[in-house]
Amino acid sequence: MTTPMTATLPTLTATDDPEAPSRKRRRSRVHRASPLTYLVLAFVVLASIGPLYYMVVMASRPNSDITSNPPPLTPGSELGDNVTRVFENPDVVFAQSLLNSLMVATVATISVVTLSALAGFAFAKLRFRGKNFFLLCVIGTMMVPVQLGLVPLYMLMGWIGLAGSLWSAVLPFLVTGFGVFFMRQYVMQAIPDELIEAARVDGASTTRIFFQVIFPALRPAVAVLGLLTFMERWNDFMWPYLTLAPENPTVQVALSRLSGGYYTDQALVMAGTLLATVPLVLVFVLFGRRIVGGIMEGGVKG
Amino acid sequence: MHLRDRLARIDIHGAPYLFIAPFFLLFGIFGLFPLGYTLWVSLHDWTLLGGNEGWVGFGNYTELFSDDYFWNSLLNTFAIFLIATIPQMLVALGLAQVLNASLRAITFWRVGVIIPTATSVAAVGIIFTMAFSRDFGIVNWMIGLVGVDPIAWNQERIPSWIAIATMVDWRWTGYNALILLAALQAVPKDLYESARLDGASAARQFWSITIPMLRPTLMFVVTVSTIGGIQLFTEPLLFNPGANAITGGDMRQFQTSAMYVVEQAFTGQRFGYAATVAWVLFAVIVLVSLVNSLLVRRIRSAD
Amino acid sequence: MSHTRRSRWLATAAALVAMSSLAACGGDDSGSDSGEDVTLRVNLFGKFGYTDLYKQFEEEHPGVKIVETAEGDLGKYNTQLTQRIAAGSGAGDVVAIEEGQAVNFLASADKFVNLQEHGAKDLEDQFLPWKFAGATTADGATTIGLGTDVGGLAMCYRRDLFEKAGLPTDREAVAALWPTWDEFIATGEKFQDGIKGSDAKFIDSATNTYNSILMQSADHTYFDKDDNLVIESNPAVKAAWDKALEMDEKGISAELKSFSPEWNAGFKNGDFATIACPAWMTGYIKDQAGEENAGKWDIATVPGGGGNWGGSWLAVPADSKNQDIAIELVKFLSNADGQLAAFNAVGNLPSNPNLYEDPALQEATNPYFSDAPVGQLFVAGAANLEPVFLGAKNQPVRDAVENAMRSVENGQRSSSEGWDVAVNDAEKAAG
Repeated sequence: MTTPMTATLPTLTATDDPEAPSRKRRRSRVHRASPLTYLVLAFVVLASIGPLYYMVVMASRPNSDITSNPPPLTPGSELGDNVTRVFENPDVVFAQSLLNSLMVATVATISVVTLSALAGFAFAKLRFRGKNFFLLCVIGTMMVPVQLGLVPLYMLMGWIGLAGSLWSAVLPFLVTGFGVFFMRQYVMQAIPDELIEAARVDGASTTRIFFQVIFPALRPAVAVLGLLTFMERWNDFMWPYLTLAPENPTVQVALSRLSGGYYTDQALVMAGTLLATVPLVLVFVLFGRRIVGGIMEGGVKG
Repeated sequence: MHLRDRLARIDIHGAPYLFIAPFFLLFGIFGLFPLGYTLWVSLHDWTLLGGNEGWVGFGNYTELFSDDYFWNSLLNTFAIFLIATIPQMLVALGLAQVLNASLRAITFWRVGVIIPTATSVAAVGIIFTMAFSRDFGIVNWMIGLVGVDPIAWNQERIPSWIAIATMVDWRWTGYNALILLAALQAVPKDLYESARLDGASAARQFWSITIPMLRPTLMFVVTVSTIGGIQLFTEPLLFNPGANAITGGDMRQFQTSAMYVVEQAFTGQRFGYAATVAWVLFAVIVLVSLVNSLLVRRIRSAD
Repeated sequence: MSHTRRSRWLATAAALVAMSSLAACGGDDSGSDSGEDVTLRVNLFGKFGYTDLYKQFEEEHPGVKIVETAEGDLGKYNTQLTQRIAAGSGAGDVVAIEEGQAVNFLASADKFVNLQEHGAKDLEDQFLPWKFAGATTADGATTIGLGTDVGGLAMCYRRDLFEKAGLPTDREAVAALWPTWDEFIATGEKFQDGIKGSDAKFIDSATNTYNSILMQSADHTYFDKDDNLVIESNPAVKAAWDKALEMDEKGISAELKSFSPEWNAGFKNGDFATIACPAWMTGYIKDQAGEENAGKWDIATVPGGGGNWGGSWLAVPADSKNQDIAIELVKFLSNADGQLAAFNAVGNLPSNPNLYEDPALQEATNPYFSDAPVGQLFVAGAANLEPVFLGAKNQPVRDAVENAMRSVENGQRSSSEGWDVAVNDAEKAAG
C-alpha cells in the first residue's frame, strides 16, 4: 500500500480550492457529487441549523412567547431590544469578556496545536524507549473525570498565586491528551516514512525535519485541531467560571449573569448566546475553505 | 564528521523525549496533582467545606460497591453512551464521505455541518429541553402530526435516554465528521483511481480502501467518543431544569456517573466519597478503552 | 508560498499579542487593611439593589472602592462559592449566602468571620428571630451572616379562573376561603367542580406547598436539635407529606416541576389557579405570563399563617484581607436604611421587622397583580414564622424528599412507596 505513494507524490499538489485550475482533474479522481448527495447534505444542514434558527426565534421574542403551544416558528421583533439589554447590563461586561475569551482561546489553541504536533510526531514516527508506555499515559490523561479535579486544581492556582487571573483559565489547557492523540493518529496515516527518511538522508536534524517537512504537511490536521480547540475554549464554562475573578470574565461566564438569580430570562440568554456564537461562525466562514487544505502541499514543496 | 555523527546520535535518541517533554511537563503540573490529590481524598472521610475528618482506607470503596445509585448511574451512562455513539459514528463516517466529494459551495456545507459544535452547551441545553418538552415541545408537536401521543421525555427512562443521546449527537456528529474528513483527505487519491481501473464498485472502494486507510483515525474517534461518553455530564444536567437537576430526574432515570460525582461532592458535601466515585469511574473508562483496543486489534488481525 | 509565510507570521504575532495582554491582566490584586486604598469585592447573585448604597458607603469611607459582581444562576453561584470557600481563596470580601446553602456553611462556620465578635448580638433585634437564627450555629455562639431579604410567602391566584369556577375574586374574600390547609384543599375541590371541562388545576404542584406546610408545623423538621435524623419519628414531616399529597390525590394539582419549561408555560396558559409566591416571584410571574395576562393575577395571604421561600444573608469569608471594612459594609447594607433602599430599588422584602410598619412597605402595591398591596401581604407571610432548626444535611435530605414526592405526583410511585424511598434516601443523604 505504501509503494505507489512515493511515485504519486508529485501529483498530489492539487489544492482543495474548488476554484483552482486543477479542479477538473480532481473531480475525475474523487467521486462526483450526485443530486442525492445534495439532498442528504441539505437534510443534515437543516438539522444542524434548525436548533440555531430556533435560537434566533427565541432571542427575538419576549420571554413569555417561548412557551407557547404550538411553538413559535418565526422570529419576533425584540431581537434589538434583547441585544441592547445584553450590552447594557453592567454586570456582563460583554466587550471585555469577548476580548478575554479571544486571548484565552488563542493562547490555548496555539499551544495545543504546536505541542500536540511535536508530541504526536514523536509518537507516530520516532523510535524511543518507553514509547508505548508514554502513549498510554497520554491516552490515560483523557480518561480522568474532569469534574472532581476542579477543586484541587483551583487550590493549586491559589498556591501559585494565579487564582483569578486569565492565566489560570489557560494553563491547564496548554496541552490536551486529545490533541496529542489526534496528531499521532493523523501523522501515522498521512505522512509516509519515506518522506522522513529522505530528509534524514539529506542530513536534516529531527527538529529541522519537524519544522520543515512535517509541520507544513500537517496543515489540515492543524486547522481542524486548532478550530476544535478554539471552539472548546471559547465555549468552556465551568473551569473559567470557577477560577476567574468575577470582574474579569470570559464570554460564557459573563453570559451566565444574564439570568436573574432565582430564574432565567431565556430570551435574554438566547440573545447573549447568539452574540457569543456569531464570532465563532464568522471564524468558520472566513477560514472554512482553508480548514481542509491541499494535503501534502507544503510537504512536497518545502 | 565525528562531531556531526555524535550530534546526530544525540538528536536521534534525545529529540523524541524533547518533543514529548512539554506535554508531560504541563500535564504533570496541572493534571497529575489533582489526580493524586483526589486519590488521597478518596481514602478519607472528607467533607467539602470541613476538610479531612479521618482516614477510612478503602471504606469509601466498599460502600460504593453496595451503592445502588452508583450502579444505576453507571447503567444510565452506558445506555446513553451506546444509544448516542453507534448512530453517531455511522452518520459521521457517511457525512465525511459525502463532504469529501467535489461539491458546489463546499464551504457552506462544511460550515453547516460543523456549526452545532460552535454552539455553547448552555444554548444547546435550553433549546433541546424546550424541543423535548411534553406540552409544547416541537418534537411532540411533530410526532403529534403523525398521530403519536405526546411523550413525557424527561420522565420516562428510555425516552429520556434517547432525548439526551440526540442532544449529544447533534453537537458532536459534525465534529467527528470533520476529523474523519481531514483523514479522508490524506488517503492518496490514486488508490481510488487504480481501484476504479480494476472495476471496483463505490461500495467496494469504501470497504477495501477507505475503511482500512482510516483505521487509525477511526480508532481515535471511537476512543475519544468512548471516553467523552462515559464522562457525560452537561447534557443530562441541562435536560432536567429546575429543582434538583443534578439527580437526573425524580427517579434518577438519567443521572450519569459524572453527575453522581458532583451530587456527592456539592449537594452532599461528601468530597471523599465523590473522589471515590470519580476514581472508580476512571477505572471503568480505562477498562472499557482496553476492551475497545483489544477489539480493534482483533479486527486488524482478522484481515 | 508567500501566503503560508504571511499566515505563519500572523499566527506568531497573534500569539505574542495575546500572551502579553494576558500578562498585563494578571496580578492586579489589591487591598489590605493597612493600605490607604481598599477595593472591596462583593459577590452576589441576582439583584440586590445596592448600587446607590455603595456610592454612599464610598463617600463615607474615602479610599474604599466597591466592586460588585452579581452572578445570574443561583445553582452555579452556590457551586462557585462553596468551592472557593472550601479552597480558602478567591471568594469576595462580602458574599451573599442563600437560604439553601446556609446550613452547609454553618457546619463549617470557621470559614467565615464570626460576626458576634463584631457586635452582631447587639443587632439581633433588627432581624426577624428566625432570620437571625438562620445564620447562627445551633449553640448560638457563632453568627456567620446578617440578613438581607426574606421570601415571605403569599398566595398568588388567577382572578379570571376563580371567577370562571364561581369562587370569589376579591382578595380579602379569597383569603377568608383558606385560613387552614384543609380549607385550602376544600376550596381546591370546589374550584375543580366549578371549572369542569377546563384543564386548569388549582395548584401548580404538591411539592411547593409541602415545604410551606412543613415549615409552619414544628420547631425542627428532618433533624432534631442534636442533629440526628428524625424524619420517621417527627410526625410533622409525615403529616406535611400526607397533606401535600392529598392535594394530588384529590386531583387539584397540575403536577408541574418548579422552574421546568412546563411550569413556566403554566403561568401564561392558566394551567394552575394558585401558587405560593414570595416577593421575588412576582417579577417572575409577570415575565412568564406576559403583558397579555396583566390584571388577571392577584395576591392573597397564604394558609396556615405564613411561610418563606428564599432570601439571603451577607457574610465575610475568613480569608478576606479586608475584614474590618467588609464587616462594616455588611452592617451598613443590612441595616434598616439599607434594607429599605433595597426594597425601593428592586422590591426585596426586608428581614428587619421594624420596617414592616414603614409607609414605603405598607403602601406598596403591584399594578400587574391588580394593585395588590404586596408590602402588607408578603410581610404577613414572613412576620409570623417561628425559627425552625435545620440540620447540617438539611439540603440533601430536603432534595431527596422532594424528589420522592415528585415521583409520586407523576404517578411513578404510590404514596407509601414514595415515602419509603424518601426515608431511605434521607438516611443515605444524612450519611
